Amino acid sequence: MSSLRNEGCTLTGALSVTTAVRDAVSIIHGPDGCAHHNFSLLHALQYENDQLVLPSIISSSLRETDIVFGGEEALARVIGRAQERHPGAIFVLTSCVAAAIGDDVSAVCGEVRDIPVMVIPTGGFLGGGFHDGVISALVSLSYLGSTGSPSGMVNLVGEKNLEYEADANFHEVSRLLALLGVHVQLRFVRNCSLADIRKLGSASLNIMRDASLSGVGAVLSDRFGTPSLPAFPVGFEGTLAFLEAAGRKLGIDSAGAIASEEAYQQQVIRRFADLQGMAVRIREPGPAPGPVLAELEKLFCFDLQDNGPAPQIPDPFPVGTAGLSRMLHRWRRLCRA
Amino acid sequence: MKQIALYGKGGIGKSTTSTNISAALSLRGLDILQIGCDPKRDSTRMLMQGRLIPTVMDQVRERGDRAITLPDVVYTGFGGVRCVEAGGPEPGVGCAGRGIIATFQVLERLGALHADVVVYDVLGDVVCGGFAMPMREGYAQEVYLVTSGELMSLYAANNICKAIKRLSNRSRGQCRLAGVICNAKNLPREEELVATFADRIGSTLIQFIPRDPVVQRAELNRATVIEYAPDSTQADAYRLLAEKILTNSRLDIPEPLEIGELETLAYEFIAE
Repeated sequence: MSSLRNEGCTLTGALSVTTAVRDAVSIIHGPDGCAHHNFSLLHALQYENDQLVLPSIISSSLRETDIVFGGEEALARVIGRAQERHPGAIFVLTSCVAAAIGDDVSAVCGEVRDIPVMVIPTGGFLGGGFHDGVISALVSLSYLGSTGSPSGMVNLVGEKNLEYEADANFHEVSRLLALLGVHVQLRFVRNCSLADIRKLGSASLNIMRDASLSGVGAVLSDRFGTPSLPAFPVGFEGTLAFLEAAGRKLGIDSAGAIASEEAYQQQVIRRFADLQGMAVRIREPGPAPGPVLAELEKLFCFDLQDNGPAPQIPDPFPVGTAGLSRMLHRWRRLCRA
Repeated sequence: MKQIALYGKGGIGKSTTSTNISAALSLRGLDILQIGCDPKRDSTRMLMQGRLIPTVMDQVRERGDRAITLPDVVYTGFGGVRCVEAGGPEPGVGCAGRGIIATFQVLERLGALHADVVVYDVLGDVVCGGFAMPMREGYAQEVYLVTSGELMSLYAANNICKAIKRLSNRSRGQCRLAGVICNAKNLPREEELVATFADRIGSTLIQFIPRDPVVQRAELNRATVIEYAPDSTQADAYRLLAEKILTNSRLDIPEPLEIGELETLAYEFIAE
């Protein structure tokens, strides 16, 4: 699951997770620019997704004298300012310069306070990228979850908060789970509260957004004993396999759900019958799942060419039957243009 | 204007040597500026009757760098020597090297860096870019290494040669090694050893400063030897060193030794 979008800054990756907690504040322990840049990026992407909530980020505003004398006092001050907003928790994310001068961030955050103040090390120069930031934030936030007896419901873990189709993909997974009679209890972490996160340990199944989060799945399994599914489904066959696997993990007979979904998939395929034999140039699979493309080629007998219209293969690849339906709709528009 | 920098292992006597050089030069009627480049901020203490003067970084921290004026950071001590301490963080926090860089920026802006002789007294090892600041373009062209005949001290001096060599290789790099000062520990054949070391790295032993209890007595009386015991032979040694520095025109790009060569060299003088 390596692609350019998973590189970039660790700090941005971690913020894409921590700012999705409604009642928490994220502190960037660094110069103002780190906060400004990330705030702008998160705000712009959320605005594109019609979400007008401003990310709750404040900066410790390190200046040169803080670098020379150490930034710990500046951090203590900004934690005080964050507390004035009465959040349920504070996440402290470190910048490159704070990491380089060796500020003892854990010691400052470890002082006794009435709310959790959690450190997430995100010095970008240490070599991690966006995706490492996401993982590190998910693992850190998992400490806010409590254990509990399995509720029969599932958690969705590591939704890609900056992707355009995050909610569409969520609705698709919810629809599939509903076929099994199962509900989502927690989106870890997307538009949730700290109270929601406390339920993390009581799910009967964790469904990871994609295979790159297997490490997070292992941490959750170690801590709470919750089994996990490695990824949201892609492709027609993959979607049916997902239903089967989810049913198996949850001890639910999935035959009915699979039959109903298969019938729906046939409807979708019929709806796009006009794409049969379409002349397309499928680009190198790249980040897209090769087996799904092969499946589509077979279903629609595409006339593969070296040139001609090249339909876009979204990254991340759309989830479930509905995702394929959206993608095929776009392909049709391209090929008829 | 002559700008010199003293580098060497921590505790080897750079500040003692610097203050005595500054004091001796000032008594020749020269305008001297000594800049302590060490967060321990005690470089100029013996020129200031034992007083720890306010540091540049403390002032910047308290008032912001725009509010600082020349009298806030430059203090006149023995013989009219003007003293500056860069200052920096408490041990174990922050970034002392950045403090040196910030100090130079403040001093530049205030136009403080002019005198007949500017003496930069720099923290033991060139641990990061900040402590190489005095060697950079526009500052000290002449670096003096202070060392004893102890291996650890020679090792540190040799390491500093690496920094001098690197900076002298830059297109506009003007930093050169001007000589080695032996601040003796009273080891047998110490002068010979340090002279040989200086020769091997492509430089010269400029002055042998013997070990003398008068140095400690002067320090306990919060003064340089030049001030406290002007008639002592130790004061003569410092005055001679000051004169040699004033007239020295030898500037070399040093060739640092490999660790093995350095050990072999030290061993030759110990084994016999």
